[in-house]
Amino acid sequence: MKKIINTAERFIPEMLEGIYAAHPDELAYVEGDLHCLVNARRHEGKVGLATGGGSGHLPLFLGYVGEGMLDGCAIGDVFQSPSAEQMLAVTRHIDQGGGVLYIYGNYNGDIFNFDTAAEMADFEHGIRVESCVAGEDVAGPAAASGEPNRRRGVAGIYFVFKCAGAAAADGLSLNEVKRVADKACANVRTMGVALSSCTVPRVGRPSFEIGGTEMEIGMGIHGEPGVRRGELLPADAIVDEMLAPVISDLPYQSGDEVAVLVNGLGATPLEELYVIYRRVNETLTARGIRVFHAYVGEFATSMEMAGASISLLKVDDELKKYLAAPANTPFYKQFAL
Amino acid sequence: MAELKELLKNWAELMQKNQQRLIELDGAVGDSDLGLTMADGFRAAYEAVGDSAENDAGKFAYFAGKAMGSAVPSTMGTLMASGLMNAGKELRGVETMDGSQWARFFRAFYAGVQSRGKAQLGEKTFLDGLYPAVEALEQNTGDMKTAAPLAAKAAQEAFEATRGMLARHGRMAIRGEQSREYLDPGAAVAVLLMEGFSQTMMR
Repeated sequence: MKKIINTAERFIPEMLEGIYAAHPDELAYVEGDLHCLVNARRHEGKVGLATGGGSGHLPLFLGYVGEGMLDGCAIGDVFQSPSAEQMLAVTRHIDQGGGVLYIYGNYNGDIFNFDTAAEMADFEHGIRVESCVAGEDVAGPAAASGEPNRRRGVAGIYFVFKCAGAAAADGLSLNEVKRVADKACANVRTMGVALSSCTVPRVGRPSFEIGGTEMEIGMGIHGEPGVRRGELLPADAIVDEMLAPVISDLPYQSGDEVAVLVNGLGATPLEELYVIYRRVNETLTARGIRVFHAYVGEFATSMEMAGASISLLKVDDELKKYLAAPANTPFYKQFAL
Repeated sequence: MAELKELLKNWAELMQKNQQRLIELDGAVGDSDLGLTMADGFRAAYEAVGDSAENDAGKFAYFAGKAMGSAVPSTMGTLMASGLMNAGKELRGVETMDGSQWARFFRAFYAGVQSRGKAQLGEKTFLDGLYPAVEALEQNTGDMKTAAPLAAKAAQEAFEATRGMLARHGRMAIRGEQSREYLDPGAAVAVLLMEGFSQTMMR
């Protein structure tokens, strides 16, 4: 393991100490717990938006706490859910009487803890909480009717944060913000590819083995199995294999307008992400799908994993308005589009 | 409260003693952290209330569960915490544990895990191990010295019967049909819970 850390045990607390030291005017923590992060600025009467999840994915999750986006985030150890009590601490701090919306990825540990936190918030403090669970990775099968969604939540959750964040900043009610978040969730799909593994510091060895010339299409952001492993192909062929199941899933059709997110998993340079975007743009144009806005960069990583993901969000006038609104966090800045 | 305290102590010791076995069971199908989270979690639950002077069995169990949830917020840690907390809610105000209160305790533990995890019986989880044990306790609430070992035996048999079941939850589900070849590590935890209860009743 080759990492710039002091000890594996202190990795996350020291990361957090660094973040609070670097951004003292923007971020703060509550109840003396570094893992309970909130926006240092408060906006009276606003619906609170909280997220949370394991560490190891920066700028996901805490990087989206700030102006025009989220109000708080509970932070777990690497790839581990934070506890319900930590989520509750964040919830209590960001509720301003209008209730709180949880937006997080579709993983059992997170679901159980957020559900517990929501019950405790209601039972112990009378705070109304609603939830929006993002699960948009088409590497997993779509849910049969009546079955719960088992798809993993990956980079596409950025779009949910952005739209819900702008809606809450606009002063919408909890029900309305949830409706916007659910709409973004329903219209986003993602597919990833991994070229190399990450290493969890406390484990000390790569999470999975992959050959020096191999790739795995559809691998999850914690190294969950994908849909196909094979020899590395040229960029255009990789994009074609990733994008086809994304487009056919919703489906995204001629005449649709989409926002695109080409996301790096941690060790893949921006140059390569733009090579990917070139082919995505070419393909969408050929299919008559118009690009409203393209985002290229690191939005949801898996530490030093090499690889990328492609997300599409089908937009209407409302989602376009919220995507276009300005946002400003220590990790993410956007002028009004 | 002596018996409840003793039960939590036995659970903490059993999870610690079986840590390696749970790691191995889980390593075959999951991310092999089950042994660690169960040992850490049940220790935290016991430590939170081990010196408590609380006379309300419900509050006692609730706070033990809450401590566990904070210590190990993993999937299985949160499920066990939910079980304990729900048992606590059910027994609020109870100061003396007898056979029928123990049956309520485990029925509520089961319900707490079920409503949090939303698994159904037969889906190869902890619930498959615990369910027949709860049934066994409910059939003989007048005599826990007889019922508790029978419940532990029922849990053991149910654990062995998870081989052959198709997994629908967690990492094991990724294996699809192949999951039938494995024993469920969650059901192994249910066996340890009932063993610990049996030890407590036989003292």
